[in-house]
Amino acid sequence: MPQVMVVARNFMDMVAALPAAKLDMLYDSAFICEAVLRSFPPLAKKYALQMLYVSAPMPAAAMEEWVLDEYASKHKVAIDRLLQLRVFVEVRDRRKEVSYKMNDKFQGNMQKYLVDGGSLPREPISSSVTGRLPTLTELENYALEQWECFLLQLINSSQVERGTSFSSSMMKTFQRGLLSSRDGDAPKLSENGFQFLLMETNAQLWYIMREYISSAEERGVDPTELISFLLELSFHTLGAAYSFNTLTDVQRIAIRDLAELGLVKVQQGRKDSWFIPTKLATNLSSSLSDSSASKEGIVVVETNFRLYAYSASRLHCEILRLFSRVEYQLPNLIVGAITKESLYGAFDNGITAEQIISFLKQNAHPRVADKIPVVPENVTDQIRLWETDRNRVDMVLSHVYEDFPSKDMFEQCCDLARDNGFLLWEDSKKMRLIVRVEFHQEMREFLRRQR
Amino acid sequence: MVNAIKGLFISCDVPMAQFIVNLNASMPASEKFIVHMLDPTHMFVQPHVGEMIRSKIAEFRDQNSYEKPT
Repeated sequence: MPQVMVVARNFMDMVAALPAAKLDMLYDSAFICEAVLRSFPPLAKKYALQMLYVSAPMPAAAMEEWVLDEYASKHKVAIDRLLQLRVFVEVRDRRKEVSYKMNDKFQGNMQKYLVDGGSLPREPISSSVTGRLPTLTELENYALEQWECFLLQLINSSQVERGTSFSSSMMKTFQRGLLSSRDGDAPKLSENGFQFLLMETNAQLWYIMREYISSAEERGVDPTELISFLLELSFHTLGAAYSFNTLTDVQRIAIRDLAELGLVKVQQGRKDSWFIPTKLATNLSSSLSDSSASKEGIVVVETNFRLYAYSASRLHCEILRLFSRVEYQLPNLIVGAITKESLYGAFDNGITAEQIISFLKQNAHPRVADKIPVVPENVTDQIRLWETDRNRVDMVLSHVYEDFPSKDMFEQCCDLARDNGFLLWEDSKKMRLIVRVEFHQEMREFLRRQR
Repeated sequence: MVNAIKGLFISCDVPMAQFIVNLNASMPASEKFIVHMLDPTHMFVQPHVGEMIRSKIAEFRDQNSYEKPT
């Protein structure tokens, strides 16, 4: 099976990939510095804080003495990260020794931040203007709804009742890695697309954000500004309203797009409009591994291969349809069965048994989540068996050598092939030898030398 | 002088091996592809039949599945 993973990397990797000049521009904002500092591994954070008030370069050798020898690898990782994000700058003196100095802008901004405490470029509007703000649960439902609608539209445009206002070229950009269209047919999900659907929401969000930012250049929006705005957004208070007047034009366009994705909610008052960040936005600057599993699971798998998903969402139905046969859809329940045919369909589409099993485990309903095993073993074993059933025959391209003039020659060839690890089969009675095709040249040379 | 023949080395389980032997027997004489039968689970065949064997096995597998008519 091809091992293609949809890699949703950290926001910080994207920041680190920016050219040096743009990165320095980013550090003009104290929030970016703060976000970057938060994203570092603990050792790197310690180094950054230690060097905060040191203006002279610090020799690398002296820094290595700060850790015990056995943690030298962690030290290296921390220093690499600091260099990658240009928080530390390398300085070589006359004796060609390496020392590290902190980035001036970063240093200045962090020092100010420490002293002043830092304040957002915008304040929440008072409630006299906004009236009743949506509660946190309402916000979360809104975010979930928008995100699901967006995902549904992403994978199958025909099925959506209420489309988002993304332009078709934007959707194409998102779909680039996920859908593949053969000429004439409607576009259908590619292998990456299936893996994408089975990922967690945070991972999916990162992927979409990454695509959005990479395509920003094509749309004429400066990705640096976009990244800095997104990072600022993650510092806003969840559920508080912020006026549109504080946004630049670029940011206004971005806000509309983000509203479609469910990251913010836009509301209009009598005179102004304002936006409210949702949980998806405030989670932006946290790394993938920090995602808390706040979502409750919905799937119960029985030993008779039946599947019950307590959900009303169309997206869940679609995902379950990927690998199971959905039989009934009730107002709060989706009933399905895992069958050989449905699994074969999934395997043909490039989904592996492990992905299906881990999806079932991660989304298990709380009633069964405490059982051991979460998904019954006969179901997991059978899914894996059905997968291996698809390749019962193992074929290797090779050469068969026969008619050896002497037993000695045969033995020598056998040993040569075995020592190099290319021997597939030897039959000493019939003096027959089967060796992998890569070894054929060497074998020929060897035989020619023997004669 | 040593002879070398290029081909595919197949290793599978006994039922599959018998299936391939049967497939070979049903082919007309010019298209028989098994070069050597090594043991009940291994054999050596001509190189171009790999895809054909895979598709015939898939067909055999599909014949064993029942899809409820909708």
